[in-house]
Amino acid sequence: MRVRQRAATWSLGLTTVLAVAITLSAGIGPVRIPPETVVKILLNAVSVPAGIEIAPLSVAGTLQLPVPTLRWRPAIAFPVDQTAETIIMRVRLPRIVLAATVGFALAAAGTVMQGFFRNPMADPSIIGVSSGAAVGAVAAIVVPAAIPFGLGLRGAAFVGAILTAFAVYLIATEGGRTPVATLLLAGVAIQAFLGAVIAALQLYSGEGLRAVVHWLMGHLGNAGWSDVTITLLIVPVLFVILLAYARDLNVLLLGEEAAAGLGVEVERTKRLLLAVSAVLTAAAVAVSGVIGFVGLIVPHMLRLVVGPDHRVLLPAAALGGASFLVITDTIARAGATEIPVGIVTAALGAPFFLYLLRNREVHAL
Amino acid sequence: MSDSPLVVDDVSVTLGGREVLSGVSLTAERGELVGLIGPNGAGKTTLLRAIRGGVPTAAGAVTVTGQSVSSLSAREIGQRVATVPQETELSFGFSVKQAVAMGRHAHIGRFGTPDETDQAAIADALARTSLESLADRPVTDLSGGERQRVLLARALAQATPVLLLDEPTASLDINHAIRTLETVRAVADDGTAAVAAIHDLDLAARYCDRLVLLAEGDVVAAGDPDTVLTSETLADAFDATAVVSHDEVTDTPRVTALPAESTPTADEEE
Repeated sequence: MRVRQRAATWSLGLTTVLAVAITLSAGIGPVRIPPETVVKILLNAVSVPAGIEIAPLSVAGTLQLPVPTLRWRPAIAFPVDQTAETIIMRVRLPRIVLAATVGFALAAAGTVMQGFFRNPMADPSIIGVSSGAAVGAVAAIVVPAAIPFGLGLRGAAFVGAILTAFAVYLIATEGGRTPVATLLLAGVAIQAFLGAVIAALQLYSGEGLRAVVHWLMGHLGNAGWSDVTITLLIVPVLFVILLAYARDLNVLLLGEEAAAGLGVEVERTKRLLLAVSAVLTAAAVAVSGVIGFVGLIVPHMLRLVVGPDHRVLLPAAALGGASFLVITDTIARAGATEIPVGIVTAALGAPFFLYLLRNREVHAL
Repeated sequence: MSDSPLVVDDVSVTLGGREVLSGVSLTAERGELVGLIGPNGAGKTTLLRAIRGGVPTAAGAVTVTGQSVSSLSAREIGQRVATVPQETELSFGFSVKQAVAMGRHAHIGRFGTPDETDQAAIADALARTSLESLADRPVTDLSGGERQRVLLARALAQATPVLLLDEPTASLDINHAIRTLETVRAVADDGTAAVAAIHDLDLAARYCDRLVLLAEGDVVAAGDPDTVLTSETLADAFDATAVVSHDEVTDTPRVTALPAESTPTADEEE
């Protein structure tokens, strides 16, 4: 009971922080829009079901079938400037929502990986997901002809990420058991190998070099609603699965032998956590490129604040990651020239983390 | 077959091509504390792992509360068998209470939260191990003896019919060792079937109802401490010369080990 209350309190608090961050961020840009206008625009976008309409649908030309459909209408209609509304709804909000979703996914996956590996240096890309995504994306830029099925840049990155994670898992698995240490080392080796592939592709990228470097640094610019939709649909579902395993993750921290003794189906739980985290990371990296640091440091920050219990830590870290990336991306795009958000996350996140490290009693991990 | 909570029937275990246990049988009744003794590498830890389904058995069967362990899920085993490990990673900053509460994992559903039964089991485990005053301290702040008590409390919170202990006193001073075994003794007296691997033969003799002496994966002797702890069986099993005398204070056998070359004489036997 107490755990649920703590989880709810922290989640509510951090959701509020995220809402404030989003509102302020939406107002910042070449055209300044005051927060109260932003709030009105956001509220205008909220639709409520206004009733059920029976629309006749003709089947096979002659037969008419009545099909009930929900009719939506805006809940509120504040009078606002049309230009401001367009800027917020079409330009800034998709990018902000994408930043929030990517930050949420990376921080959640990072939290799970650190617990899973019982290693403070673990991050979402530890089993090669980011490197695999990078190979897919860079290949799509440099040799588009090599990418089958018209996957496109994001599709290629996503498939590269999933294939790599799966390969690392297969390499590290023997007789149905996947020792964590083997997995870690296999991940490091595969990352090194893929690093070589990426470097080689860059060398022969010619005209595409700028695009390659841009992708590798991580970016959230030019996002439209269509980019956001898929990630926004995948991420919450995967997160709920991870949340359902939060207590198992706590027990796994005691070591696998002890976890098995306490009733955890160790290998099955590990497989599930790995697969879900890999897809979560891949979904984020495929749309945003490699944004480092969020998945490594945000979980540590929140662990220092809320403690190691994953039932509280996992939602807190995910929401914290969302706010963190919204804020850093706002800073990245606020200047005269936009800088890659990866630079901002590291430049701001590291000092803040060091501050927490010095001011909190760190027990372990 | 009996309705003993724990029946180990002719179990063999092969690890890495080597037979670690060859045809070991053992039972533990409700209210009984069975001591598992034997030299390092005799297979004590492997036997405990086999009992909770942690290693595949090459032959034989382990039956816990009437059901074969190999047919039970990890969760079902976790509701029947609790283990106090020799040592464990307690490096994360969980509080004592959180660590003990993890003992209830197998009893709580995936989307559930601890109910009154769980809370009562946790409170009882903390009380039995006198950890109440430390309940909110981070585990990482505790001494070795206190951490061992946390592990015991976690296993007690599991509230299982079978309790396994792997060298619960190995890293403890004599005071903590006695307190731990007193607690285990009390838990057994309340109806649990307990099996403990114990290195200290005097303590094993003092607290256990029966002893099972393992050597090279085989049961060499089993029965009352008095019948198991003899110079002959110990010489066989430990490849050492030992003198067994009677401890007047505890009224149990006392084992004095001597270098292998020396021969026990009458005066050393007191």
